[in-house]
Amino acid sequence: MTRILPILFALLWFGLSCTGAAAHESQPGSMELRQLSRDRYEITWRAPIYFGRSHPARLEVPDRWQDVMPPTERMLPDSQVFRRVMSVGEAGVEGSLIRFPGLERTITDVFIRLHRLDGTIMTAVARPSKPYAQLRGERSWHVTARDYLGLGFHHILQGVDHLLFVLGLLLIVKGRMLLVRTVTAFTVAHSITLALATLGVANAPLPPLNAAIALSILFLGPEIVRSWRGETSLTIRYPWIVAFLFGLLHGFGFASGLSTTGMPKAEIPLSLLFFNVGVELGQLVFVFTAIALVRSFRILEVRWPRWVEAVPGYAVGSLGAFWAIQRTVILIGGMIL
Amino acid sequence: MVKRSLSQIAGPSALLAMLGLILSPVPATAHLVTTGMGPVYDGIGHFLLTPEDLVPVLALALYAGLRGTLPGRRILFLLPPAWFAGGAAGLAVDLAPGQLLPAVSFLVIGALVAADLRLPVAVLSALAILLGLIHGFCNGAALKAGSGMLGLLGIAIMLFVLVASVSAFVISLKREWTRIAVRVAGSWICASGLLMLGWMTKGQV
Amino acid sequence: MRDENTRDRIYVVMAATLLLWGSPALAHIEGGQAAGFLTGLGHPWSGFDHVLAMIAVGLWGAQLGNPANWLLPVTFPMVMSLGALLGLLGIPLPGVEIGIACSAILLGAMVLGELRPRLIAAALLVGFFAIFHGHAHGTELPPGQSGLLYSMGFVIATGILHGLGIALGLIQRWPGGQLVLRGAGAVIAVAGMTFLWRALW
Repeated sequence: MTRILPILFALLWFGLSCTGAAAHESQPGSMELRQLSRDRYEITWRAPIYFGRSHPARLEVPDRWQDVMPPTERMLPDSQVFRRVMSVGEAGVEGSLIRFPGLERTITDVFIRLHRLDGTIMTAVARPSKPYAQLRGERSWHVTARDYLGLGFHHILQGVDHLLFVLGLLLIVKGRMLLVRTVTAFTVAHSITLALATLGVANAPLPPLNAAIALSILFLGPEIVRSWRGETSLTIRYPWIVAFLFGLLHGFGFASGLSTTGMPKAEIPLSLLFFNVGVELGQLVFVFTAIALVRSFRILEVRWPRWVEAVPGYAVGSLGAFWAIQRTVILIGGMIL
Repeated sequence: MVKRSLSQIAGPSALLAMLGLILSPVPATAHLVTTGMGPVYDGIGHFLLTPEDLVPVLALALYAGLRGTLPGRRILFLLPPAWFAGGAAGLAVDLAPGQLLPAVSFLVIGALVAADLRLPVAVLSALAILLGLIHGFCNGAALKAGSGMLGLLGIAIMLFVLVASVSAFVISLKREWTRIAVRVAGSWICASGLLMLGWMTKGQV
Repeated sequence: MRDENTRDRIYVVMAATLLLWGSPALAHIEGGQAAGFLTGLGHPWSGFDHVLAMIAVGLWGAQLGNPANWLLPVTFPMVMSLGALLGLLGIPLPGVEIGIACSAILLGAMVLGELRPRLIAAALLVGFFAIFHGHAHGTELPPGQSGLLYSMGFVIATGILHGLGIALGLIQRWPGGQLVLRGAGAVIAVAGMTFLWRALW
């Protein structure tokens, strides 16, 4: 890859991050229905804090469901938790529609999980494009697979920090084989830690993780400048080593998008697999678009002014620096409090 | 001489014709897309799923590719900003764009591709700006209720990527039959536009 | 449910468009309106006379070699939609069915005889019959469907038929292939005669 990487991507991700549309930190919501007796259910609706405020979406259950005790509400640092115990009547919950008015104006996904007394579990996802879910019997595996594939795809395309890291790697790597090796190394590494984190083997607390991810991006800034000057370094000679090491970090970041708390054990491997496939697909789309653009610029004989050529590199460096400072401040703030 | 006069006439007359087009009242077929990934992606999704906008852009990129690198660069740097500017203006109006505009765009640009006509670069540039302004204007009106300005930004970025890739792809085609395949695609686009016009005269659309 | 479909389509279309830049046909999908595209795509295959004549155009083009090989497929869809336009404007065309049958006979005969008229004559002949085909087939838009998508499907299917003819025409490179090709021309011509018979009586 040469230096002429599109200003465009920098612009896109700038645009996303400035408007807050790219809230990589925004967590999915969850709703749990636990059957207590034949017609009683305990409903826990965890609404994530959305850009510092209460989440705009509400939970709307069918009219015939009746509260049997006063609803409670609890404020946590990252979410609001609403609990109710309801009687659903003779008809049961099968076929009922759970709605989330207000969700369509957000970028939050809500995982819905129904635990029945007989031990069976049903899961569903409500999304901004489909702010409701129907409670019904077991889902076939491919519905689950598709859901998580989409989730992974979303997650990477909205994860500006991950994409910026990949962009940084693309700016450093020269030659096709090296590119393939580097991208593969990043993929393998983040798949490992994503799996470890999801299976509960290893864990990384979010604030220091985010700061470390920001540092990984910042780290690439000077390396890009070095490669412009024709100098060499360990990173420039063996970018796949760097990709692998930092990829381990980014995998923990991906895991934050795949919330598995309370997910049935049997479903974890499948959802993990397809979430990861979705992430890789999104990453490939990004890499191929970048490569196609660079190739196109060469064929079209586009001659960029020097400062434009430098924009992607500086965007990686300065955004990395900005996030590193911002996230470190959050980290320190969290420790003091 | 000929070149200059052609470009001088083509601009204003086409502008008038196109203005007449967009002001014609025809039922709207606007459809907004929610990707759940924020307004920028919503805009991109809307564009990719709207053949009325997508195909003329592809056709223009094919044409620029047939003409060479300079026309390719011109369109690459003129079309997205023009589209964005037109869209920004369109955000301010209530407008239900009909099918006439896409039909004519299909017809005209498709015919250019099919005939592999050697238009002067200035005329091509004017065409890119016009297409961008007018389609962008209607696009803006359609996105008003949805992703708005950020959606337009997404569309402009998508346009840039599309035009760069498609025209570079066509330029890279060296063998004769591959270039002809491009022209055949153009003839199809033109024919579709012609059919559309036919149905509009019958009031079927 | 429509939204979910739309969303799935977005994934498909985004990925496909990003990976296969050169293939605009993949992006012609639109939420709820894809039916129009599919109907249009299916329509040209419904008339056997139409299908045969289209394939004959491709076969003949392959026989004639360059530049007819590409001039005919470029001309045909455009003239055909012109024919449809005439039909829609209410301009009558006498004996449409006869015209289509004759086109199968004549084009079949051209392939059979491996006739090589001048390029302009070939283009005119094909163009002349294209008007009949357009007049007969391009004038009905199923109600409630997207005209644009229907048109594109219709035109693409026509193109595919030509392509089929051209691809079949490639067999002339092998020994005996020319003979087979001419035989196919004969079959088409004979079929055209039966169409003509049916159109007249």
